[in-house]
Order: sequence, then C-alpha cells, then structure tokens
Amino acid sequence: MELKIGWLYPTLMSTYGDRGNVIAIQQRAHWRGINVEVIPYDRDSHPDTIHQVDVIVGGGAQDRQQEIVMRDLAGAKTAAIKAKLDAGAPGVFTCGSPQLLGRFYEPGLGEKIEGMGIIDLETKHPGIDTHRCIGNVVFEITATRLAAELTELLGGQKPLIVGFENHGGRTYLGPNAEALGKVIKGYGNNATDGTEGAFYHNAIATYSHGPLIPKNPFIADWMIKTALQAKYQTEINLAPLDDSLADRARAAMLKRLNINQN
Amino acid sequence: MCSFRWCSHPDTSPSLKQGVKVQINLLDRVRLGIAVFAAKTITSTIRTFKLGAASVLPGTIGKRLHPQILTMLSQQIKYGVIVVAGTNGKTTTSLLLRGILEKDGWKVVHNEAGANLVNGLITTLLEHTSLTGRLKADYGILEVDENVIPLVLPQLKPKYILALNLFRDQLDRYGEVDTITYRWRKVIAELSSDSILVVNGDDPALAYLGQQLEQGENPKQVKYFGLTEPELYLDKMPHAVDSIDCPSCGTALDYKGFYLSHQGDFNCPKCSFTKSKLSIDSKEWPQVLIGVYNQYNTLAAITTMESIGISKPVILDTISTFQAAFGRSEELVYNGKKVRILLTKNPVGMNETIRAIDRVKQTGGSSVTLTILNDRTPDGTDVSWIWDVDTEKFVNSGGTIIVSGDRVYDLALRLEYSKTNLDSGCKLIIKENLQEAIDTALELTPLNEILHIVPTYSAMLEVREILTGRKIL
Repeated sequence: MELKIGWLYPTLMSTYGDRGNVIAIQQRAHWRGINVEVIPYDRDSHPDTIHQVDVIVGGGAQDRQQEIVMRDLAGAKTAAIKAKLDAGAPGVFTCGSPQLLGRFYEPGLGEKIEGMGIIDLETKHPGIDTHRCIGNVVFEITATRLAAELTELLGGQKPLIVGFENHGGRTYLGPNAEALGKVIKGYGNNATDGTEGAFYHNAIATYSHGPLIPKNPFIADWMIKTALQAKYQTEINLAPLDDSLADRARAAMLKRLNINQN
Repeated sequence: MCSFRWCSHPDTSPSLKQGVKVQINLLDRVRLGIAVFAAKTITSTIRTFKLGAASVLPGTIGKRLHPQILTMLSQQIKYGVIVVAGTNGKTTTSLLLRGILEKDGWKVVHNEAGANLVNGLITTLLEHTSLTGRLKADYGILEVDENVIPLVLPQLKPKYILALNLFRDQLDRYGEVDTITYRWRKVIAELSSDSILVVNGDDPALAYLGQQLEQGENPKQVKYFGLTEPELYLDKMPHAVDSIDCPSCGTALDYKGFYLSHQGDFNCPKCSFTKSKLSIDSKEWPQVLIGVYNQYNTLAAITTMESIGISKPVILDTISTFQAAFGRSEELVYNGKKVRILLTKNPVGMNETIRAIDRVKQTGGSSVTLTILNDRTPDGTDVSWIWDVDTEKFVNSGGTIIVSGDRVYDLALRLEYSKTNLDSGCKLIIKENLQEAIDTALELTPLNEILHIVPTYSAMLEVREILTGRKIL
C-alpha cells in the first residue's frame, strides 16, 4: 500500500515545528510497512498536484509568509484544494493554516489577506502590541462524526488533544462551520467562546501545535486509515504501534495542568 | 594582510579621539548622584543581609529615582557603547570583544552575567559608577535582548551595533522574526549618523536592513561580515530557515549555498537585491571554539575591532587564548571525564550544535550525548521547535543519546520519530532525574572521549551547578 502526503508550502508555512505532523504521519505509515511519499505543494507546483495526494498537511506561517502563500493559492490552487477536501481527503491544518481556509485574515501589520473561503470562519489580529494567545492547551474533540470515529479508535476513550497554542489572530466561526472541539485549558479560537478549531468534511483545522500529531498520534492513525480506506475501497486495520512515549508525554502535561484524563 | 581598511588606529581616528560628548547639567548631576548613591547602598544592604538577588535590583532602584539613568551613565563611557544583538552568539561575541579591547589596554564595562534586559544593563553600568555618579570606562559592551533593542537604543546611543543573526526563537515571548526586524530598522534609523552598524551580510533580512540604513535621511555606516568558504556549504537547505525570500520583493532567493540556516550566498533573481561586499575575508582568520556558528561570532568581533582600529596581532592573540563563556562550548573535567556543555536554545542553534558534535563523533572522539529540554521562562515555554531540528542524521549515526529535562518525553518522541527503523539508530536512554542522567552519561563515556551535554538555558544552569558544585546565578 502507498500513502502520499501533500505538504503545503514546507518552508513558508512551518513556523512552530509543524513539520512534526508530516514526520509523524510519514513514520507511522512507514513503520507499518506502508510506502510513503511526501509531495510538497509549493509555489512552483502545478495546481493539479494536489489530486495525487491522499492526505494534506498545512502548518503555520509568519504574517509576511502567509501573505505570499495566499497570493500563490488564489485561483486554481484554492479550487484544487477545495475539491480535494470536499471529496473527503483527510487534512490537518494547524497554527496559521486554518486562517487560510477561512474567508479572510487581518494581520497585525499590513493589509487584510483574503483566505481560500473553504471554511466559514474569519480571523482578526488585534494589533502587534496586543498579547498573543500563548500556552499549553487541552481540548476535547466534539465535532460529531470525528469524535465518534476517534472514540472508537481509542477503544471508548474520549479524544483529548494535548498541545500548545501560540497565535496573535483571533478566529471566529460562522454559522456554517462546525467547531473541532471545546477548550478545557487554554484560549482556543478567540479566547472568548470556548471553541477550538473547525472540522470540515475530513479536514481538521486547529491552532493547537506542539506539534499536534506526535503527542496525539490517534489523529495520524485516523487520517491514514480514512485515506487508505477511501483509496483502496477496503476496511483497513492498522497494526498497533508502541505509543508509550506519547502516553507519558501526555500524562506529564495533563498532570501538570491538573486535568483528569477520563 | 588586509589591504582595504575602513578605519585607522584609535590614536588617529577622529571619531574616537573626541569620545562621546557628555552634556549633563548640574541639577541632573545631583539627581543622578542621589539615584546612584541610593541604588548602590540599598543593594549592598540587600547583599549583606542576603535579602534577594542583586543582579538587576540596583537597576530597578536607579531607574525609579532617575528615569534617564541609562542615558546618563552610558553617555559617560569615553568611546561609546557597543551593542551586541542577535538570536544566537551574543555572549560569546561580547566576551571576545571584551578580551580584544582589554588586551589592547582599554577599560571595558560589560554585562558579563548576561543580564540583557533594561534593569540588567543599568545594574552593569552602576557597578562601574562611583558614589558621585561618575563612570570611568573607555568602552561599554552590552549584549541586549533582541526585543529590548527598540527600547534601549535611543537611550544608549551606541557607537556600534552588531546584528549577529535573527532566527526563530522563543516565539512564545517575542512573536515573529519579521516583527523584530521591522522594529530594529525603525529604531536604528532614528539614531545619529555616528552610529556604525556591523551586520551579518550572509543573512538576507539583516543584509537588507543594513542596505536600507545606508540610505535615507540619517545614513549609517554599515559593515558586513560573513563567510567566503563554499567548502562549508551544507549538503542541502536545513528545515530551520526564516528568511529565504527576498526582503525587498518577496521572490524566492537564489542560493549558491547555505552556510548555516538561511545564511549563505544568495541573490534575488527578480530585483536588484544581493549580498553586500564583506569587510573581511573569512579565510584569513582563525575562529574561537567549535562550530560554524562560532566562526560567525568570531568574524563579527573581528570586523568591529578592525573598524575601531585594533591591530591584527592583538586580535589574533585574543582568539588563540579565548576561554568560553559558561555553557557556551565550555569544557570541564568531572571525575576524570571530559565534558563539553553546548547551550542550545532554538532549532538553528541545535542544528549547528549537533553538526559540530557530529564532526567530533566521526573522528571517534565522542559517542555519548546528553540532551536536556526544559520549558521554563528562560527556555521558552513552547518546545515545538525541537521538530524543526534536523535530528535524523544524528540519531541514525549511532552512539548513545540520553534525554532529560522538564519535557523529557517530548524530546524522546522527537528522537524516536527520527529513527529510520524502530530497531536501529542510536541507543536512547530516558532519565527524568537530571542527576541520574548526568551520572549515566558520565559512566557511559569512555576516558578517551568527551561527553557532550546539550541543554536549554535553565537546564544549562542546573548542569553547571551539578558539575561545578555551585550556583552561577
């Protein structure tokens, strides 16, 4: 079996270790004997390149890089990504990239940046001198279908994400967007309404990095399983991996934050 | 020999002969005297009765009693202040600058304890100030936190500003590299034309900053340092780069090669942006310590010192006898085992550290590395940066890696995910307890090898406390 990972703008959009998501998906597939190819989707890529990939990963950018990315995405690339996500390709968009999926982003410095308009959300940066939303974050995934699938994958345990957030922008979901989860500890989308991220078809958008996947490896397994089932039209059961390091890393942070895992 | 000189010896340099003009009126002098007196006596009382730390407190008191105290003290430094800024290398570069100036016979004020925020700077100057408010020194060397630069430059009115590099670092506290460059440019532009800028010409964002500041209403004299040694090019572009697009037009820069992160030989394929001429040829100079990053630090110091007019023999002599600052490639012997501590705070620093260690590893000089990841305020609370480090080569080239620190499992995960196959690569040993981690690492290090310890900032202090048996801060 083969898994192709589409990586959005590897150098422009990787400010907070977001590459860790690509590495984790790649290794968890590779260690199970699945052939993996990482395909960068960059400035010099043809828009149709995205149709070859099975999962999409996008990370965070600094404001200036985000602007460059948005200019490049406008038009054919946006249409290609939207078609891919609408067809159910699993995606994980962390840190700054949820902002790209939304309708617009107003940075702390400079002009408003139009987003891809795929998810009904908008982001505003209240100015470069305003405090950033920074810290360890824990949230429970509540997006209905995803929560059910992850709970099953976790053998009945509720899907709790342990990560770190660091964003200047505040994101507000529109009526047509489903929140990814509800914040237990941290700021979340905008530090006010308790929502975190958004879920769209099989695309996960979240401010949580850390990076997201290494400490929440069930996300990678869900993506791999979902992508391969769609690709090969057969039930896929991934061989278990030893996740004791991730379990201990999670337990250490939950203990520090006084959060009961159950 | 260096045939092209920007400068001349201090004795003949007009700008230096005059020194910095000191204009303090009587009333201010009295008020300064009171502030200095109070700050110094209160501090000595606190020290005597062990009531608290004295590394920043005098500054806090002094500033309360005289808001302009930083300006009034720094302006008394005869030939002015040299500000050292950048993400990595401030301490080593400052120490080298100081060594060279002292060897040349000048009296230097230097914030050697690394207190590089406002109150720390004031405290340093106060230590060299008499009870009547007089500060006698030829040069001030102040390493300044990158985020504090906008606040203190107008007050310090430095003679030299060294911009070493700018990488992603502690973004949880400081925001993004672009925001920092923007603020630096704004504040440096407002300084008088007497200020000389020494910038890393291999760093596109800083080279552009220099080029912009050479123009405008208050043009600055700018000197560029960098490498001219293509044999040092990296095999490929590292992942941890921040400024690989043209700072002028946004096009992806064309690189002939990368020396370290985004530092390299570049030019813009679209607009006219390209590297500026470097002041010195890196091939003609030796370096301090190990690693390409320390070569850059050495070049920054040489460029500044040549500009001031210090002779080559004095510079060379200082380089050859240089002793590392604490934790910065510092070598110790503990229970008969050699140890080298390499402070690492960010992806670029760690890439370069493991590159330097790998060189030693390849010659059979080291097989054991202890890495420690803490997430306290001085380390940065966001540890996601470890995933921007290219650890794969290091992990898969064998040997033993011991991990410890507040975030020991996060670090262990990063290293585990670097393994090509789960049953190959280095041996990974996890020790939550730092003392146990150090004991294990020492035990596994053969007598003819050196143990490398790669800690974040607070971990470095802990390691030194264990190895030297005393606190340094």
